[in-house]
Amino acid sequence: MECKFVPSVCSYCGTGCGILFQVVDGRLIGTLPMKTHPVNQGKLCIKGWNLHEHINSELRLKNPLIKTFGRFSRVNWDTAIRYTADRLQKIIKKHGPDSVGVLVSAKATNEENYLAQKFARAVIGTNNVDHCARL
Amino acid sequence: MQDTVKTWLTEGTVDIFLGYKMVEGHPIPHGFSRNCLDEIDEMVTGPARYSLEKFATQLLQIHPEAKIGILARDCTQRALNVLTIWQQISPGQIKTLQVNCCPSPLGSNTDCSYLQPAETGTYKAAHGVDGSQSLQTLEQMPEEERFDRWMYEFQKCIKCYGCRNVCPMCFCRECSLENKDLVGNGHLPPDIPIFHLVRAVHMAGRCIDCGLCEEACPAEIPLRMLYRKINDMMGTLFDYHTGSSPDQSPFSLLGDKPSSGLPPMTAELSKNK
Repeated sequence: MECKFVPSVCSYCGTGCGILFQVVDGRLIGTLPMKTHPVNQGKLCIKGWNLHEHINSELRLKNPLIKTFGRFSRVNWDTAIRYTADRLQKIIKKHGPDSVGVLVSAKATNEENYLAQKFARAVIGTNNVDHCARL
Repeated sequence: MQDTVKTWLTEGTVDIFLGYKMVEGHPIPHGFSRNCLDEIDEMVTGPARYSLEKFATQLLQIHPEAKIGILARDCTQRALNVLTIWQQISPGQIKTLQVNCCPSPLGSNTDCSYLQPAETGTYKAAHGVDGSQSLQTLEQMPEEERFDRWMYEFQKCIKCYGCRNVCPMCFCRECSLENKDLVGNGHLPPDIPIFHLVRAVHMAGRCIDCGLCEEACPAEIPLRMLYRKINDMMGTLFDYHTGSSPDQSPFSLLGDKPSSGLPPMTAELSKNK
């Protein structure tokens, strides 16, 4: 029998509430607010309280999917990245770099968001970068 | 304290001990087991307080035969009494290690996160319900004013269900707060005051006044005051004192037979006239 609490940060928005994942016998069964966290001080919103549900959800995506002829088919990461790169290159060649926009997310880390804007500016060559937390 | 826990685990008195461990400066709850006895040296008692009795109840749902030890404050002990009454735990299945509780003039050494309630701001003092005052002071206000003040508090609710999720007494499999006929969904604030009153009614004979719900409320609604009123009514109407002992069954408080002439109830009604 094992019961432990793993500290983490809520991935739902840019606030960054401290949470504890309740793990029993290696299975995630609950989410709690972290009492001593400076951001949320032991409080959470309804999304944070239910973080564990999407981790255990059967609907959770675990592989990349490519839509061909209106249907999703499961592919591996290499194929998905190759496919996306090819399509992006074709679009940029045909319509110019400003035809592409990059939307990043508060659910990603600071570093990932930095890399995403760098990818937009340095690789694609556009300033069309936006973020869901810039409300 | 650490030695007691080690002895309990090695001798098999308990299978798991729920306490707190310091992780990167944060006291977080942890289940200590006999496989990692070294961890027990890192055990701390405070200052943050989590619902350890709720974790114990959840563990017992997965491992019904387990023997669990927990760090217990006064509120934990009251919670265990009520959980025993409601047959969520069997007596003797949970062994407690008593530690210091909330601050009081009688005890200088305290380990609890529920120190003093946050100071009430001027707007809350003028329009809301000040949770730091006594129930008697609040009840001296005219009824209409009290209702308006409670409604001001309730309309702040963001329906996070934190009060229910954190509550050690909320063990029901089906929750009335998720019943669409009682509480509609898809709008904020939720149906007030029905949302809070449904919960308050269900806290009758259950709320052990631990204050975890109020600590978890992002809208700072003085929930503890609301449930104190419910428990106060349980005391005056039925002479039922929640959590005071593990044998006071809520099913027999009205007596063996149904009756229309309940002595304490009539006394209270005639007093109000």
